[in-house]
Amino acid sequence: MLAFAEQGMNGLMMGAIYALFALGMVLIYGVMHVLNFSHGVLFMAGAYVCQVIFAQLTGNYFVAILGSMLVLALVGCLLEKGIFQHLRGSLSMQIVASMGLIMIVQNGIIYFFGPLALHMRVETVESKIRLGPLSFTAQHFVIIGVTLVAVVALDLFLRHTRLGTALRATSQNLEAARVVGINPDSIFLMTFALATALAALAGALLGPLFLISPAMGDLPLLKGLTAIVLGGMGSVPGAIIGGFVIGILEAQATLVLPTDYRDAVVFAALIGILLFRPYGLFGKRERGEP
Amino acid sequence: MSEQTSKPILAIRDLKAGYGGGRMIVNGVDINVGAGEIVCVIGQNGAGKSTLLKGIVNLIQLRQGTVQLDGKDVTDLPAQKLLLEGLAYIPQGRSIFPRLTVAENIRMGGYLIKDRAVLKRRHEEMEAMFPALAELRGLQASSLSGGQQRQLELARTLMMDPKVLMLDEPSIGLAPRIVDQVFTVLRDLAKLGKAVLMVEQNVRKALAAADRGYVLELGKVRLEDRAQALLDDERVAQLYMGMRPTAA
Repeated sequence: MLAFAEQGMNGLMMGAIYALFALGMVLIYGVMHVLNFSHGVLFMAGAYVCQVIFAQLTGNYFVAILGSMLVLALVGCLLEKGIFQHLRGSLSMQIVASMGLIMIVQNGIIYFFGPLALHMRVETVESKIRLGPLSFTAQHFVIIGVTLVAVVALDLFLRHTRLGTALRATSQNLEAARVVGINPDSIFLMTFALATALAALAGALLGPLFLISPAMGDLPLLKGLTAIVLGGMGSVPGAIIGGFVIGILEAQATLVLPTDYRDAVVFAALIGILLFRPYGLFGKRERGEP
Repeated sequence: MSEQTSKPILAIRDLKAGYGGGRMIVNGVDINVGAGEIVCVIGQNGAGKSTLLKGIVNLIQLRQGTVQLDGKDVTDLPAQKLLLEGLAYIPQGRSIFPRLTVAENIRMGGYLIKDRAVLKRRHEEMEAMFPALAELRGLQASSLSGGQQRQLELARTLMMDPKVLMLDEPSIGLAPRIVDQVFTVLRDLAKLGKAVLMVEQNVRKALAAADRGYVLELGKVRLEDRAQALLDDERVAQLYMGMRPTAA
């Protein structure tokens, strides 16, 4: 029972990371209908930028998180303006470009920072919080708390602001968006910036808890992808719930199976979903779709 | 031959538009629409009706000719600027935002209105004009009937209080009774002084609601006349309303 509760907490924490990660992917997918496979390396780059700002510039973790989100939002704008905008209309080219970005960013990081993992010693990782007989790092609570704040803020933005509504409108009907005077290019730019900032946030939150390494985004990419498939491609609440479900599932799986099988359990769940509910837990079957 | 309005609010001159590949779908079209007037463009599939409207609002890459709105040359303005100048366009088929609420859809029509008070007032005006939509304001737009969705498109478009309203087949996919309602709304708008330019396949009902009409064939205007005269024209009847030649 104790182990169950402990893994529940760990699962919630990882689920929060996956949810943030999946949110960025689902925003891009929902608005631009492209799966951005470079999301994992942007997450990783976010952790590196956070580490640099924290360890070499300010020593303030909070500032480092915000700085990393800002830097990656700018990177997102550049990627959209410089690459993806020109490939609009060709899905395969966009996928190839995002694969290429993985290599460029990953090898770029190795070139500048070396292949070895970096540490990031923030206070919240060193200090423990006791819950009865269990003890967790304060970072666990920071991650879950920040994720909840980010999710609520995003929800308020999407549902109650003019720009957020325009973003949803553009994702639902591009031609109609143009007709009412929305400039889709600026919506795409904003979406990319928002998504990469969320990737950076997830990377900056997870970085101090584990190691910061060039490959740290590879598995979250697959898990994030699983989360949005689970949630029903394009559904924002689905991506959040999908992220938490995967985090909790893989944590609980370690109680009954060897730890090495953790990832296999998640991907088995993905295969199951694809077989029995291909439109996800929350996706709706659109008219005309099989 | 047709009675020309004294000063057209929308004047299209020698418009050519296409999608590339060396062929112009619309090939030199002149059209005038006056304030308070409903003008209907009819023609077979592939005649270039939809392309004509897209060409006018600059939603097509390849185009030549001039578009004048209220005496001002607006040929090179993007669709967004045209909307601010008073030229609104409703594309073919369902152009609503399906998963936004009815109220959100209407407010999106005023996306370019920066003043919140104006936005709120216009929204209230639209709900007064379309009381059915006011009752449904919290529902997802996709749950509305076809006729209600068409009303929603009109309400959304009227948020900008346009001088000219262009519609691509407003009757498509609607039951006959609902089609009549839509055309009644268009007549009411014309009475308020709006200029309406629509393209239609439902030739009989559209011409009955219109003041003037143009017949488009292979990207060119073949006939132009008062709507009633076109309705009485035997060639139009044969070609577009499925009538057999009377003397055959």
